[in-house]
Parts: sequence; structure tokens; C-alpha cells
Amino acid sequence: MSSRVCKNCGGTDIDVDQARGDAVCVGCGSVLEDNIIVSEVQFMETGGGGSSAVGQFVAGDASGRNPTFGEGLYTGVGRESRAQTLQNGRRQINTLGHQLQLNQHCLDTAFNFYKMAVCKRLTRGRRVAHVVAACLYLVCRTEGTPHMLLDLSDLLQVNVYVLGRTFLVLARELCINAPAIDPCLYIPRFAHMLEFGEKNHEVSMTALRLLQRMKRDWMHTGRRPSGLCGAALLVAARMHEFRRTIKEIISVVKVCEATLRKRLNEFEDTPTSQLTIEEFMKVDLDQECDPPSFIAGQRKKRMKLLEEELEKKIDDVQGEIHEYQDEIEMELEQSRPKLRGMYASCAKPGPQEEEDDEISLPDGEEREDEELKAVAQHLNKELCDQVISGEEDGEGQEERPPRRGPSLASLLGPMPTAASLGLPESISKCIGEEKENDEDAENGELDLSGIDDDEIELYLLNDKEVKIKTELWLKQNEDYLKEQKEKEERIAKEKELGIYKDKKPKTSKKRAPIHASTADEAIEKMLEQKKISTKINYDILKELNVKPCASPARQTAESPKGATPGAQRLTGRYRKSTNVPLSLGTPLSSLGKRLRPFISGHPPKKLALDQIAIPLPVASEVSPHSVLVESGPVVYDDVADEEEEDEEEPCVSAMELLGGNEYGCDDDDGF
Amino acid sequence: MEPSNDVALDIIITNVVAVFRTRCHLNLRTIALEGVNVIYKPEYGKVLMKLRKPRITASIWSSGKIICTGATSEDEAKQGARRLARTLQKLGFKVRFSEFKVVNVLAVCSMPFAIRLIDFTKNNRPIASYEPELHPAATYRIKTLKATVQVFSTGIICSIQITGITKFL
Repeated sequence: MSSRVCKNCGGTDIDVDQARGDAVCVGCGSVLEDNIIVSEVQFMETGGGGSSAVGQFVAGDASGRNPTFGEGLYTGVGRESRAQTLQNGRRQINTLGHQLQLNQHCLDTAFNFYKMAVCKRLTRGRRVAHVVAACLYLVCRTEGTPHMLLDLSDLLQVNVYVLGRTFLVLARELCINAPAIDPCLYIPRFAHMLEFGEKNHEVSMTALRLLQRMKRDWMHTGRRPSGLCGAALLVAARMHEFRRTIKEIISVVKVCEATLRKRLNEFEDTPTSQLTIEEFMKVDLDQECDPPSFIAGQRKKRMKLLEEELEKKIDDVQGEIHEYQDEIEMELEQSRPKLRGMYASCAKPGPQEEEDDEISLPDGEEREDEELKAVAQHLNKELCDQVISGEEDGEGQEERPPRRGPSLASLLGPMPTAASLGLPESISKCIGEEKENDEDAENGELDLSGIDDDEIELYLLNDKEVKIKTELWLKQNEDYLKEQKEKEERIAKEKELGIYKDKKPKTSKKRAPIHASTADEAIEKMLEQKKISTKINYDILKELNVKPCASPARQTAESPKGATPGAQRLTGRYRKSTNVPLSLGTPLSSLGKRLRPFISGHPPKKLALDQIAIPLPVASEVSPHSVLVESGPVVYDDVADEEEEDEEEPCVSAMELLGGNEYGCDDDDGF
Repeated sequence: MEPSNDVALDIIITNVVAVFRTRCHLNLRTIALEGVNVIYKPEYGKVLMKLRKPRITASIWSSGKIICTGATSEDEAKQGARRLARTLQKLGFKVRFSEFKVVNVLAVCSMPFAIRLIDFTKNNRPIASYEPELHPAATYRIKTLKATVQVFSTGIICSIQITGITKFL
């Protein structure tokens, strides 16, 4: 602040009063400045008696929108986007972090990661929740807390692989090297959840030793650490005489039963599993095993080798059989009476030789050769047997040889011919490829060299086949096509009406309505259709209708058996009084939501219900009698209709009969 | 690691993915009803056609863009693509074979030894990443070749090389 010159008198002596904020010339008294703006920090008193600084923090890279003067008393409004994003992120991190029980230091680190991510534009195109979760997981990894990605995905209800992808991108872009997960980190956490009591520490130690053993046996590379932990803890628990079932461990460790079993099996294969408990605690075997998948691969290779050996042996055996066949044939020829005329030509072993020639193909595809030969020989053998048996029977010998000739040819004919067809094509294909022109590709013209049109014709169906396929396809995709049509109609209708409800069409299970004249029949038929519970004594259910007075005694006997059937019966009965045609054995789901609370599993309330029920049938004698009178066929209401039922009921409801308020049921309808 | 060392390591190409365009609109229903090995997926809006000779599966979109997968060599992929175009031509569409491009090549190689993935990842820090919770293999990305190599602990190495645009729908 250099001393200025007064405009009026030219004097340099200027008095600046900070309190009033003016600059006055001492000489002439003219006010040079009024309401001077100062760059000082002001403090004001807050509610609790403390003092806070007045003002807002503006970031260096802010967009430059000036904060409003004097009017911006309420914070958080009108801030620029970056601050809002960060504030939102911070809030989400804190929420999620508290659910994971992370300390404040971790949360701050996570927030720093988030700021970096925002700067590097990694939040664009990704859900904030995903980025936040990835930041938190990064912190967990760097700090070494026993949190799994699965925990985060559980909290967010997001696919774990989606989160994983975001996490990997974040780690890569931020150049943060997260240390690899050590399954040992998870042991204390899972052990605590499995509640080993005093022996917690010992079991954990044993499990750690087991894990280290597994690591040395190459069981842990490529596997989820939680699965290994689960297996180690299971064995450790059993070693210390704790009964922990596989199901308990699964619920804690979050792997499936098959995985756990597999890990246990793999551990069983290692030599360590042969040691006793004491030995294991003291001795550590030196040899290391190969990874289990490696062993599996070796096993496969061995199987292949065995198969090849077997095939070779089969070939040898085939050769032997062939020799025997030849000998037998020669014998037959000699013993067979000579054929005259046309049969003589057929009896020649000509076709066989021809087939052999055909089989030996130019390109020497040996596999096919062998197969075909084997098949030919096998068929040969069969027919030879036939011939032999024919010989023994002594029937129609003359017929056999001619039959033998053509049948073989016909059987073996198509096979070699198909093979011989395929090969010249592939040959021409190989030659044809060399002639390809790249220029064709630019023109867009299709270069047809090497493409056999006939074969492509095979790929297309003729008209008849097209029709058949159309029918099949329409039938197969009927549901989808129907859905599409319905959707379109619905949208069109709703557009007309102007309402767009966007209701999802519920797929209701439609059961055929049972026609019965009495309630008994209806119950029987329904029970045939659907067995509800094995705990209900259906015979007594049937008797209920007949003897209403005696039934309450049975009802109380029944209620300890199964609370739900009790409520079911009762509510069914009272529903009857409201003229809704339901039988006593109505499935739970079709009962209205008002009566659901009875069924939702509050045993004391149900007993109270039962107790009230006993005096009630005496009081309201009308209702049991109305139960007997069946007006019409019993129709089953589906789940979708439950709302309709509620609205339809005009008269006294079960709720009122029982004094419904006590049971905390919803009194929406307020009858 | 060079393959031409003491032990001859076989690198086997198992999959080649190629794309091409037919430059004309295709009616998927016609193809679905008149083709022999065709699966119509209306919810994804595409038709899967499987050829036997070069064993390939092609995904055909109505815009005329086709992805060919399952070939065992680049030439085979081209051959199969041409066959496919011919088939579509026979069905009556004015197909032109243009912009054929091999997009992805997958090759597998087997090492005779097992690999410690954790140490491997530590030594190749930013390039390699290993996340056992997500995938059993460590992924090693070579930016210059635009290739991703997946290293399994059993010694099998699987390399995916992306040469061109994959997102083209």
C-alpha cells in the first residue's frame, strides 16, 4: 500500500482507518476511499460459543463463478460441480466404510484415491458406487485388512466381477501396486465368526500351519483364498474336536460346498494328510507336491497314452482275427458246394477287394482308414458267422453267398464314397486359396474360388423343409412372440389412454378349477392335486367340517403339530364366513395379506388365536354352520387375485371377530 | 522365452476371430428359417450360423455385420467367411464381401514346469496383475503388441492378441 497522493490538495499524508474502512486525507479532509476491501480473515461466533472463520474455500482450479456477496449464507448450494462430486463421493465412502468398520485413516486414504480418480477422469462412464467400492477395496488391500471383494459386492448388490474390473482399472491407472492377498489374513476373521471360544487362538494357529502347508503343496495358486481358508479351518476345527459342519463354514466363508469338498480332496492327496495330528504339529515334510490341476493334466495324458496302447493292441488282435477269418473262409469255400451260373460271379470275394482299394485313399488319412477297415472286418466277421451258422443249419446256402456280396458292398459303399468325396474338395480348397486376389476384397465382389456351390446348397433347406422349420420355430418361440405382441398392444393401449402403468405381467400358475359338490370332495380333490404339508393330519381336517363343536379340541391338539396349518384352518374357516368361496385346505398363498401376519410365524400370537378360537365357535355358531353349506363349486383364487379379494369383502371380517387391533395387522380397509 | 530352444514348445492357435461386412441389410428371420444350422436369438437381435467344413460359428446382425469365430487359422477364417457370404448370397441377399479383418487370435502354449504366480507378478509389477478372487491366471499385458497373455500356475500360457477394432456394432 504505497502512500497515495490526495487528489484535492496533493498531500501524501493519508489516514487509513481499518475499522471504518476509509482513507482520508489529513490535509484537506477529503475522503479518498470508502468501504475499503481488505484481505483479512474474519471470525464469527458459532452456536456453541466457539469461533469460526467466515468465508468459503475456493479451489485453485475452480470455474471462476463468483460467490454471491452477502447472500450466500447457506452452504452447499451453488457450489461448482467438482466440489459437489467430491462431497458426494466422500459421503458414500463414509457410509460404505462404516458398514465395513474401517477406521477414519482408511476412509481418508480412500477419499484421496477417489480424488485422484476424479482428476484422472476415471469416474466418467462408471457408477459412483462402483468407483467408491473400488477405492475402498484398494485401501483394504494396501492396509491388509481382511475384507474381501465379495463383502463389498454383497453390500452393493453388484456382480463381483464388475467390481473387480473397476478395481483393476483403478489400480492400473493410479499405479498402485496392491500386494497380493494372503489367505492367512482371513483366518482370524473367519475363526472369530465360527466362535471357537477359548480355543480360538489355537485353532487359528493350526489353520495357519495348514495353510502354509497348502502353499508349499502348490494348492493355493489360482484359487480363491477364502476357499482355502475354509478348508484349513474345517480341518483345524476337527483336529481340536469342534463340530463345525460344512454348511456353517460355507455361510461364513462364502464359497460353495463343491469347492470346499474339492479342496479337501486335494489336501487328502498330499502326503501331509497321512500324518497324525501330533506329527503334523511337529514335523514339516520337505517334499512339495505339484499343483492339483497339473496332476489332473498328467492323468489325462496318461489316459491318452493308455488309450493309444489299447488301440494298438486292438489292431494286433484285429490282425489275428483277420487271419483266422481268411482261414475260415478258405475252409468254407472248399467245403461249400460249387455254385453254378449267375451265383458264381457273386460268390467271388471281389467286392471286398474293391472296397479295400477304395479305402486306401490318396491322401492317406490313416485314421479313417483304420476305422473303416475295422468296421469292414467287423461286418465281415458278422456275416461270416451268419454264413457259418447257415452252414450248420444247412439252409439256403445258395442264397447266402450272393446276399453276402451285395450287402457288404451296399453297407460299406456309402462310407468310403463319402470320404472320397470330401477329400478332393479339401485338396482343391488348399490349391484354390493360393489363387485369392486381395483386390476383390476392396471391390466388395465375392471371390468364389474354392467354394463348392453344391456343398453350400446343403446348407440351405428346400421349400418343404422351410415350411417345417417355420412351424417348429414359431412353436418354439411362441411364448416370446406372444409376449412381444402383448407388449406392443399394451403400449399402444396405454398410449391411447394416456396412462403408462408399467406393470410387470405376473406369471400366474393356473390350476384347473375343481368342481365338487361338498367341501369334503373339494378337499380330497385338492389334496390329490397338491400335497401341502406332511405334518397335517388330513383325515382330521376332513372331519372338521362334519363335527364343528368337537373340532376345537382337535384344533388345539393340532396346533402344536404345526402352527401354520392351525392358522390356515382357522383363517380358512373365518374366511368362509365372509362368503368368499375357499375350502379349509386353502393354500397359504391365496389367503389375503390381512391374514398373513397370522401366518408369518409368531407362535405366542397363534396360541392366543387358538385360545380365542375355542370360545368363539360357541359364540358365533352361525359361522360353523355356514361352513357346511356350500353354495357352489369351490374355486381357487390365485395369488394375483388377493388384492381383489380384499376389496370385495363387504361384511364382517375375521379381524373384527378377533378384535384385530391387538395383533398388529394392517387396518387399511377399516371396515 | 523363445520357442526355438532346447525343448520344442508347440504354440497352438486355437481360435481366430474375424469380422466382415456384407454391405446390405439382412433379414434375420429368412436366414433363421431357411438355414440348416442356424440359431435365432431374438433378444440379442442376432442369428448364429454354424458351418461344418471350417468349423466356425458366425454371428450375423441385420445391419450386415458378421463376426466369425472358431477358426483355427487366419486362412481358415477367411475361407469360412467367404463360404458364409456365398450361403447368404444363395438365400437371395445382395451380399458383397467387404472389409474382412482378423480381429483376435488366441494361442496356447504349455510350459513343462509350474509357475509361481505371486512372485511372477511381483517381479513384473505394472505389466502383470494377479487377482485370485477374480481369475485363476495372472494377466500380462504387452502394450506394444496389443496383446494380453494369461499365465496359469500349471504352466499353460494363453495369449490373446487384438489387432483391430472390436467394438463395431
